[in-house]
Amino acid sequence: MSEHQDPKPSPANSGDGWRVLSYLIGGVLVYGGIGFGLDRLFGTQFLLPVGIVLGAGLTILMLHFRYGSRS
Amino acid sequence: MTAGVPTEFIAPGPQSFDTPPIIDGVDWFTKPVLVAALSVVVIVWFFWGASRKAAVVPSKLQFAGELGYNFVRNSIARDAIGSQEHMKYVPYLCGLFFFILLNNVAATVPLIQFPTFSHIGWAYVAAIMSWVIYNAVGIRKHGAWGYFKHQTMPAGVPAWLMPLMIPIEFISNILVRPVSLSLRLFANMFAGHILLLVFVLGGEYMVFEAGSIALAGVGILTFLMGFAIAGLELFVQCIQAYIFVVLTAQYIGSAIAEDH
Repeated sequence: MSEHQDPKPSPANSGDGWRVLSYLIGGVLVYGGIGFGLDRLFGTQFLLPVGIVLGAGLTILMLHFRYGSRS
Repeated sequence: MTAGVPTEFIAPGPQSFDTPPIIDGVDWFTKPVLVAALSVVVIVWFFWGASRKAAVVPSKLQFAGELGYNFVRNSIARDAIGSQEHMKYVPYLCGLFFFILLNNVAATVPLIQFPTFSHIGWAYVAAIMSWVIYNAVGIRKHGAWGYFKHQTMPAGVPAWLMPLMIPIEFISNILVRPVSLSLRLFANMFAGHILLLVFVLGGEYMVFEAGSIALAGVGILTFLMGFAIAGLELFVQCIQAYIFVVLTAQYIGSAIAEDH
């Protein structure tokens, strides 16, 4: 019954992996989308990949602040 | 080499999920509708039977019903939402869990063998329902503007990074969540069912129609492998129902949380 010693992940954090995944998708979607839009605007080709990498990097940074300081 | 005349193998594909109307002229009444209706009947019968003659010393059916209900209430709702507010959401979560579970497991039940959620519309509706509920309870708790701020300001991020993070948080909370919720359920059911079809139909074809002894041997192995896949799928079906409800509970929990 002692909850603090329970080694199993509880549902309170067992979904964290899926939430992290949705952040990663979101980051790539937002900045990849911005890159895609700017590409269309300026007629360039390199801003979509830059946006995707930037979005992924920013998301990982955010996950570091959000989940990294726990435990 | 070939004993008979080999017929061509038609691989299962998305067309395997086209379900014709069961009764001619009633276009909406297809197999998924039938399976979903059956699942509702079974759930109502099960929980009605379990609670009808509730006693301090439970019958087997009451015990099973309480086990299922307690599982959703204690290990999903209470852990994810918190003991203060979880009871309000237990009916929805419990109904959702058993509805998804039965419709998924229907893919393994002989003679039915069709997962309702392999038709994406069903998964969309389930996800939209959860999406509306967690946004509605969040808006009711914090007010529209407060909830909007709550869902766009990631906790623990330094202020100079905020402008870059707000769109990520917003898109992931409002857009990616319901899409991933529905796609995960749909894709697992769709892929699992098609995998089973490939193994079973492929095995059947190689044994009976390919007309070669060597292929018939491989066909038997393939068929047996199909049973192993069916066992794996049963596991996946339960896990997907669990994941869907755990995430719904978590989204509700984070929508009403004071600070996340």
